[in-house]
Amino acid sequence: MSTATNDVKPEVKMVSVTIEGRTTSVPEGTTIIEAAKTVGVLIPHYCYHPGLPVAGVCRMCLVDVEKFPKLAPACATTVMEGQVVSVHSEKAREARKGVLEFLLINHPLDCPVCDQSGECELQDYTFQEGRAESRYEEPKRFNPVEDFGGDVLYVPNRCILCTRCVRFMGDVVEEPVLNVSERGDRAFIGKAEGHDLTDAWAGNVVDLCPVGALLSKDFLNKARAWELDRSASICTGCSQGCNVTVETRDNTVVRLKPRSNTAVNHFYLCEQGRLDYRWINRRDRLDQPKVRVDGEWRTVDWEDALDAAAAALAGKRVTVLASPNCSNETLFLAERMIARQGGSGVFRVMLGAEAPLRGVEDLSLRAERAANATGARLLGYADLAQGAPIVNANDVLLVLDDVLEGELPTALTGMMSSGAIVVHVGTTLPAVLEGRAQVALPTTNHTEEEGTFTNLRGRVQRFLQARTAPGLARPSWYVMSDLVERLGAGEGRYMASAVFDQLAATHASFAGLSYATLALRGLPVIDAAERDVLAPTVAV
Amino acid sequence: MAIRVKVLERPIEQVSYIRSTLSGLANTFRHMVDPHKVTMQYPEERWDLSPRWRGTHRMLTNETGKAKCVACGLCPTVCPANCIKLVPGEDEEGNRFPLIFEIDEFRCIFCGYCQEVCPEEAIHLGRHYENAEFSREAFVYDLERLTAQTHPVSELWDPADPKGE
Repeated sequence: MSTATNDVKPEVKMVSVTIEGRTTSVPEGTTIIEAAKTVGVLIPHYCYHPGLPVAGVCRMCLVDVEKFPKLAPACATTVMEGQVVSVHSEKAREARKGVLEFLLINHPLDCPVCDQSGECELQDYTFQEGRAESRYEEPKRFNPVEDFGGDVLYVPNRCILCTRCVRFMGDVVEEPVLNVSERGDRAFIGKAEGHDLTDAWAGNVVDLCPVGALLSKDFLNKARAWELDRSASICTGCSQGCNVTVETRDNTVVRLKPRSNTAVNHFYLCEQGRLDYRWINRRDRLDQPKVRVDGEWRTVDWEDALDAAAAALAGKRVTVLASPNCSNETLFLAERMIARQGGSGVFRVMLGAEAPLRGVEDLSLRAERAANATGARLLGYADLAQGAPIVNANDVLLVLDDVLEGELPTALTGMMSSGAIVVHVGTTLPAVLEGRAQVALPTTNHTEEEGTFTNLRGRVQRFLQARTAPGLARPSWYVMSDLVERLGAGEGRYMASAVFDQLAATHASFAGLSYATLALRGLPVIDAAERDVLAPTVAV
Repeated sequence: MAIRVKVLERPIEQVSYIRSTLSGLANTFRHMVDPHKVTMQYPEERWDLSPRWRGTHRMLTNETGKAKCVACGLCPTVCPANCIKLVPGEDEEGNRFPLIFEIDEFRCIFCGYCQEVCPEEAIHLGRHYENAEFSREAFVYDLERLTAQTHPVSELWDPADPKGE
């Protein structure tokens, strides 16, 4: 595995190179292609990927290095002191033009129907420096489309044999089911007999493929790349906290893509996280605040609903049943409420099988299938599996976006049947609360609001808004902030960042963090003594 | 009080209408026998349209009668009036095909960019001008309507032959 250039240790010797007239200093052993990135020069490449071993097969990254007799592949040549590299010299451009012409010999002209169109590196580089017209007159090679299993479809005609997928399956997933079969112009990506791309991480070959040869069946023919709106977010599939890009078309999430973060998920996203996005678009959302009057639901204004909720909560012990997918901000405000009113907070987390990505350290589909159970633990919430809190008949049960679907554990049904007043704050109104809750306040899900999650290593990461909220739904931290203010447990905050600042000022483990310092890569919570809280052993 | 109008005394040659009437009738009779006609006998007679006339759209079909469109999404992208709605999907054979293809002819500014950008030569502007409908909704042409049109399609401007000769 090659490491990214920004993980520099101080004792490493630095060398200075000049690339395209710009001089930079990079650690010894850096390749020219990575050194060029530091000065903002993108050297065209296909087979090179920072997360994979260097192969040097595509010959696209040929650059002109002073005093070298021949052009050098930038991905496989390490920099040397005083080297002068020219990426766009006449000689280098001519060579890359030739490479592109060869790649296009058998590449079909089907960009209009190709899913990769718009985010295709072959398209981009051909447009940038390729020939405008083809000189090839013979018939093109044809191979039928093959289903690679899992979510992957292989279109051999479009393949440029960069072998990124082969190296990913071999060196990162460590399950070498792909290979290059045949030779010359008959070569294609072959799959080992009887094996499919069913590994939990195999779907990454679709993102790695620079052209439209490996396609996601789920995304097939659904949208064009240029129609999508993209926002930075965090996957809520498990407690790993993989950085993702939420891609929406007409306010509907159509795809999740991994967002590179070398501290968390590198360049990858598992199948579970990638395909489990349809719930985000669900239509049966709670979209208006409702209050139960004489046993009947009545849709009311936000002010009236908040007053009703505050009246129900005032002066009573409160038990918060929080979803572990709530943001730190929301959980913090609920915790403020508990601190003021007395009571306790619990969360319920689904467990599943763990699926590590073997070639990458500390990257796995975690057993805990929720984004922010760690944040909940840090803020004093207890796991329901470790014992249910006692709920008295004159308490209030605040259900904070727990969907209450599936078979409910007895601890939970015990809490529900205690006779306590139920206030529901969430994205949907669960069927079990339909006849039970007193007030229902609609909130947005994590793609419709801003906030932070804490992953299982205690890294606090921001997510941004990607869609608009349905109906009158408000961000959950905003609703909680209004409630907290009405109950006299704190001042209302009107920015997610302000809530987070308050959280950082209140809880020692979040001290010193803010939205500005977190940026889009996140930062770990400071206290190493809280390791036990952060990574409890989960038996599955 | 009665309104008093000042009447000017003029010579009879100036106030008589007979001379003007006769001169008008003379003009009328001259045009009756003049072979150069200005009025066109619509609808029996129609205008000859320029080959590059840009009227309402038509979607061309392949040999099997299906629209040539592959839902590549270039026309809604290039459309400056945002009048094309396209939802891509797959047809029975698994090929890329528009599930919904609608053109709002009210919004359309007939620039012809959609025809120019189409890689499959599927969507065309039409060489016709009769578009009357009984409802506003009928001006949103769906795929069925677009493929059912039979009028000739407009030709693109050829830079090598700018005057169309």
